[in-house]
Amino acid sequence: MLVEVGNKTPKKASSTTAAFAVGRLSDGQDRSRFQNVVLPHLADAYVLARWLTGNRADAEDVVQEACLNAFRWIGSFGGINARAWLLTIVRRSAYAWLKENRSAALVMVDDLVAVEENQAKQCAASGGSESPEAALIAKADALRLESAIAALPLPFRETLVLRDIQELDYREIAEVTKVPVGTVMSRLARARHRLTASLAVDAP
Amino acid sequence: MTVSATPEDANLLVHAYVDGELDPAHALEVERQMARDTVLAAEHARVETLRRLIRERLPREQAPQGLTRRIAAIGVPQTARWASHPSWRALAASVVLAVFLASGSTWFALRPGPTATVADMIVANHLRALMAPQPADVASSDQHTVKPWFDGRIPQSPRVVDLSQQGFPLVGGRIDVIGRVPVPTLVYRRRQHLISLSSVPSGASAILEAVPRAIAGYNIVSWTDDGLTYWAVSDVAPADLHSFAQDFRAVGH
Repeated sequence: MLVEVGNKTPKKASSTTAAFAVGRLSDGQDRSRFQNVVLPHLADAYVLARWLTGNRADAEDVVQEACLNAFRWIGSFGGINARAWLLTIVRRSAYAWLKENRSAALVMVDDLVAVEENQAKQCAASGGSESPEAALIAKADALRLESAIAALPLPFRETLVLRDIQELDYREIAEVTKVPVGTVMSRLARARHRLTASLAVDAP
Repeated sequence: MTVSATPEDANLLVHAYVDGELDPAHALEVERQMARDTVLAAEHARVETLRRLIRERLPREQAPQGLTRRIAAIGVPQTARWASHPSWRALAASVVLAVFLASGSTWFALRPGPTATVADMIVANHLRALMAPQPADVASSDQHTVKPWFDGRIPQSPRVVDLSQQGFPLVGGRIDVIGRVPVPTLVYRRRQHLISLSSVPSGASAILEAVPRAIAGYNIVSWTDDGLTYWAVSDVAPADLHSFAQDFRAVGH
């Protein structure tokens, strides 16, 4: 049958058809690659988007936007760490969303981080600050935990979420948030410090 | 305390210790420091407690189903769009597929619906098998002949069960291709009708698609067990195909 069609079809048309057939196959390949790479980590993508945007409806929009980009860029995925790759794209989409809808928060946070990190250095150098006992924070329930994490400034929040909720390691967090590992470490320590402090203050 | 370890560094290293980021030598050093230094020991207790709280008390959230469906549909060709705007591409595609199916009329009967899916490929494979001289590459009613046949050919040989008691004698097995993935397909018989049963690793997301009940007059039943998505397709009545699926799942489970 293949030979028969080939004989009847002018040479030019048949080569166009062949090229097109190859194109379709590679589209299908992209699709199955996308599904293999992205779908297993969709819950992680959604969780990160929810913590960054602060609500579920916007998280869905952000994840959808991110996944469309992931599909577009699937060819650039190096095949090493699908989760970190996807979370990087989700974070980028979330920041674009924040810039459009919560631009004030983003600007304030940049300054805050610089100040906080300086303070942290001075504070640690002068012998540490008052810190609550572990037993005091152990009483926090899910609701208080949620609101305390949600109240963290963005860079601290995302670092804490990536580490303590999503269990990425330091290198992966550095890759996703585009900062050096040292910054990941200091942000994580600051985030945990703020979180324990606010849980202790709220404690009944 | 060594020169390189300022109080702040020592504090960060406690976090890194809890996070499993330290090699054994540094971990040992941090353990010794925590034993000497109550401030560091308290920090250690706080971090451990906080991580345990988050792990145990914060609910693990899943992506909403609607979102999962929308993401799974990304990149799935919208053939409905083709139908309303016929182009040389659509025509060329139909030529390619018609050649592939060795029958021009089959293409029109099988033309994919709004979602060209695994289901379409499953039905296409079943049809091609019906048109081939033999519906199976290894023809045997013995499960102990069919299963080893797969072993040398694909990474994962399928679960082969004997359903002759239930009225579905085994005909044999063959290897189909879904996308570019070779998958094992078993062939069973119900009276004069053949049933093709393909199993696809679930990572390929087949189950996330809305599975049509029938394509081009062929009934389809799909389910997922043990990380594999099974696709049964046949022209037997839907009720028969469902009881086939139930029997297959029941045996050996």
